[in-house]
Amino acid sequence: MAAAGTCGTGTRSTGSVVAAASTNNVTSFQRRGPRASGADSGCSRLVSIAGTRPSVRNGQLLVSTGLPALDQLLGGGLAVGTVLLIEEDKYNIYSPLLFKYFLAEGIVSGHALLVASAKEDPADILQKLPAPLIDDSYKKECDEDVCSHKTESDIKMKIAWRYQLLPKMEAGPVSSSRFGHYYDISKRIPQELIETSKWHGFFLPEKISSTFNAEPCSLTSGYMKLLQFIQNIIYEEGFDGSNPQKKQKNILRIGIQNLGSPLWGDDICCTENSDTSHSLTKFLYILRGLLRSSLSACIITMPTHLIQNKAVIARVTNLSDTVVGLESFIGSEKETNPLYKDYHGLIHIRQIPRLNNLIYDISDVKDLAFKLKKKLFTIEARIWSGLSFPPSGDPLNPGIEPPSPATPILQVDSSTTEPSATAFASRLVRHCEPLKQTGSGRIRQAAGPRLWHDGRRQEAPGLLVTPP
Amino acid sequence: MLESLLALGGLVLLRDSVEWEGRSLLKALVKKSALCGEQVHVLGCEVSEEEFREGFDSSINSRLVYHDLFRDPLSWSKPGKALPGGPLEALRALDKKTSSGPATIALDSLSWLLHHLPCPTLCQTLHALSRQDSCPGDSPPGEQVRVLGLLHEELHGPGPLGALSSLAQTEVTLSGTMGQASAHILYRRPRQHPTHQTQWFSILPDFSLELQVEPPLESQPRSDPHTPSVDPTTHLTFNLHLSKKEREVKDSLTLPFQFSLEKQQALLRPGLSQATSHIFYEPDAYDDLDQEDPDDDLDV
Repeated sequence: MAAAGTCGTGTRSTGSVVAAASTNNVTSFQRRGPRASGADSGCSRLVSIAGTRPSVRNGQLLVSTGLPALDQLLGGGLAVGTVLLIEEDKYNIYSPLLFKYFLAEGIVSGHALLVASAKEDPADILQKLPAPLIDDSYKKECDEDVCSHKTESDIKMKIAWRYQLLPKMEAGPVSSSRFGHYYDISKRIPQELIETSKWHGFFLPEKISSTFNAEPCSLTSGYMKLLQFIQNIIYEEGFDGSNPQKKQKNILRIGIQNLGSPLWGDDICCTENSDTSHSLTKFLYILRGLLRSSLSACIITMPTHLIQNKAVIARVTNLSDTVVGLESFIGSEKETNPLYKDYHGLIHIRQIPRLNNLIYDISDVKDLAFKLKKKLFTIEARIWSGLSFPPSGDPLNPGIEPPSPATPILQVDSSTTEPSATAFASRLVRHCEPLKQTGSGRIRQAAGPRLWHDGRRQEAPGLLVTPP
Repeated sequence: MLESLLALGGLVLLRDSVEWEGRSLLKALVKKSALCGEQVHVLGCEVSEEEFREGFDSSINSRLVYHDLFRDPLSWSKPGKALPGGPLEALRALDKKTSSGPATIALDSLSWLLHHLPCPTLCQTLHALSRQDSCPGDSPPGEQVRVLGLLHEELHGPGPLGALSSLAQTEVTLSGTMGQASAHILYRRPRQHPTHQTQWFSILPDFSLELQVEPPLESQPRSDPHTPSVDPTTHLTFNLHLSKKEREVKDSLTLPFQFSLEKQQALLRPGLSQATSHIFYEPDAYDDLDQEDPDDDLDV
C-alpha cells in the first residue's frame, strides 16, 4: 500500500509511476495530476467541508456523532459513507438521545438532514433536539461533577495510587467549533437554527397509501418508499457528485428511527419465521450501497430486543458498519446491584468497521457504562477494583469468565507487537467479531491519549482462564 | 387507580389470562370514562352486545357506541348493513369517527384482532388511532384518544406481545393470589423513566373498582429456618480486626511510591542532605589514580 500519509489510501494508484525522460535529473518519476473527481477521502480539499475531519489513522473522512465520548470510542468519529446502528434499550429511553445528538450535530455543523420515522413526525423530532452548549458552561458542569466524586474516589483509590494519575476519558470541550460539540438535553434547540438548516423528513403514515394491499414484493413497501426517497434526495441535492455545478460540498446525515419495528410494516419483531424476513436485510444492503457512493452518514436505531429470530440480528450486525448496543438497568436486577449504582446502563460496542485498513481501531476499554445526568449524557469506563464482586453479579462465586477465542485478536492495536499470523490471516476479509466483556477484574484506563505505556499493563489473554 | 390508567392516553394494554380475567376491568374503565362524559366506542369481537352491555345502567349504555363484529364477522348476512371490509375497516372507521374531542375506544379484544389481521398492520392501525392528528405534546392529555385493548396473554407468543407492549403507554398485567386480583401497572411516559406499580383490587358488580390491601403471605412457608450466622473470625489464630488506634495509623500511612506532599518537600528542600552523603572508594591494585585529565594533550 503506498504510504500516503493523510491523503487517501489507494487513491494514488501505482500508475503514477511514469518513467518519462524529464529535464530535471533528480528523479524520473512524475507525479500524476490531482484527480478531478471529488470522491477522494482525506485529501486536503475535502477537509473544507464543515464539521468533518480526516481520521489520523486511516485517512477516512469522519463526522462527529454528537457525543465526543462516543467519537473517541469509535476511533475519532463516524466515517462518511457508513452506517451506525444503535441497538435500542428495552424501554427506548436512551437510544432516542443518541439519535437526537446525531441530528443536532448535523444542524450545528451545517449539514443537510434526512429524518425518517414511522412513529413520530420528523418536524416534531427536530423540535425536540438539544441545544448546543457554549464552552465555558460545559466546563462548569464538569467541575461540579468532579467535586462531588472526588471524595469518594479518594478512599477507593488509596491502594491503586497509580490510576489517579491516568487521564480521564472525557476530553474537555472542543474549543474550535469544527468537530464535536456538547449539548444540553434540558434545553431545546433554538428555532432559528432549525429554520436555517436544510432538512428532509419522511414520515411513513403519510407516505403509505391508505388501502391495505398485500404486495408480494421482496421489500416491504415502507422500506421501498424510504429507499426511493433517500435515493431521490441524494441525487437531487448532489451528494453523490452528480451535480458538478454545486460548488460547496456538504454531508447528508440520515437518521432512521425504530427500523424493523412493526410500525414500518415489518413483522420481524412479531414472528420467528416470517415470509418477509429478508426485507430488512435487503434494505440495509441497498442502503449501504447508496451511502458508499455518496457523501452521507447514517444512524439507525433498531429494537433488536424485539426481534425474535437471532439469526436476523447477526445478519443485521454484519450488514451495518458500526454497531453500538445500549442496555439500560431499568427493570432488571442490575438496578439494585451496588456495582452499578452510579450508572444507568451499559454500552456495548459490538462492531467497528475496518475501512481501508488491516487492523481494527478499537479502544482498550471494553467495560463501558453510561449515565444520564440532568443535562448531559456521559459515557465512562467502569472502573472497579478486583476486590469486589465481578460484574456477573454472582457474589458467592467470583469466578473469572474466560475470554473467548476472539479476544486475543482484539487486543491487538497499532502499538503492540505483531499478532500471531494465523489469527491475523483469518481476519483479513471480515469485520470485527463482537467484543465480549471479559469481566476479569482489570482496572482499565479509558480510551484516552496513549501516553502511559507502562500503565497499560495488558495481561496476556489466557492468563486468567480458569482451567476447565 | 382507574384515573391514573386513563390519564396518560394512548394505548392502554390489559393483559389477562384464564385465571384472572380482564373484561371486568375493561368494563370498569369504560364505565369510568363514560361517566366523565366522553365518547366511548366499543368494538366487540368476542362477546355479544347484550353480554357486554349487561351490568351497565341506562345512562352509560346510552353513551356507549357499540360496533359489533361478533354477530357477523365475515359479513355473510346483508352486505352493507354490518361493518363492511372486516375488522381493519372497522378500526379505520373508528379513527375517523373519533377525530373530534376526547374519546375512548375499547377493543374487546385485541387477541381476536391479532388472529385476523397481520401483526404489523394492527400495530400501524393502533398507532394511527392513538396518535390522532394533533401533536401529542401540544394538546392536553384530556383531549387525546385513548385506546383500551384487552389481550389474552396465553394466546400469543413473545413476538406479538413484545410488539404491542412497545407500542403501549400503559400496560396492566393481571395476576393475583388466593382469590385476590392484582394489577401490575407499567407506565411509560414519553421521555421519562417507566414506573411500576402494583395494586390489589376487586371489581364490584356494578363495575366500580375497589382497592384492596395486599393479602398477607401466610400461606407460603419459609423455606429455610433462619440459621444463626457463624462468625468465621472467632477461632482463628491470627487477628483480623483492627483496633481504632491501628486503623488511624493505617490511614495516615503514606505509601512508598506515593508522591505526597512530604516527599515533594523533602526533594525540594535544598542542601541539607548533601552534607551527609559520603563516597567510599577503595582503589585496588590496577587502578590508576592519576589526577590529570587525559584529554589535556589532545590537539583539538
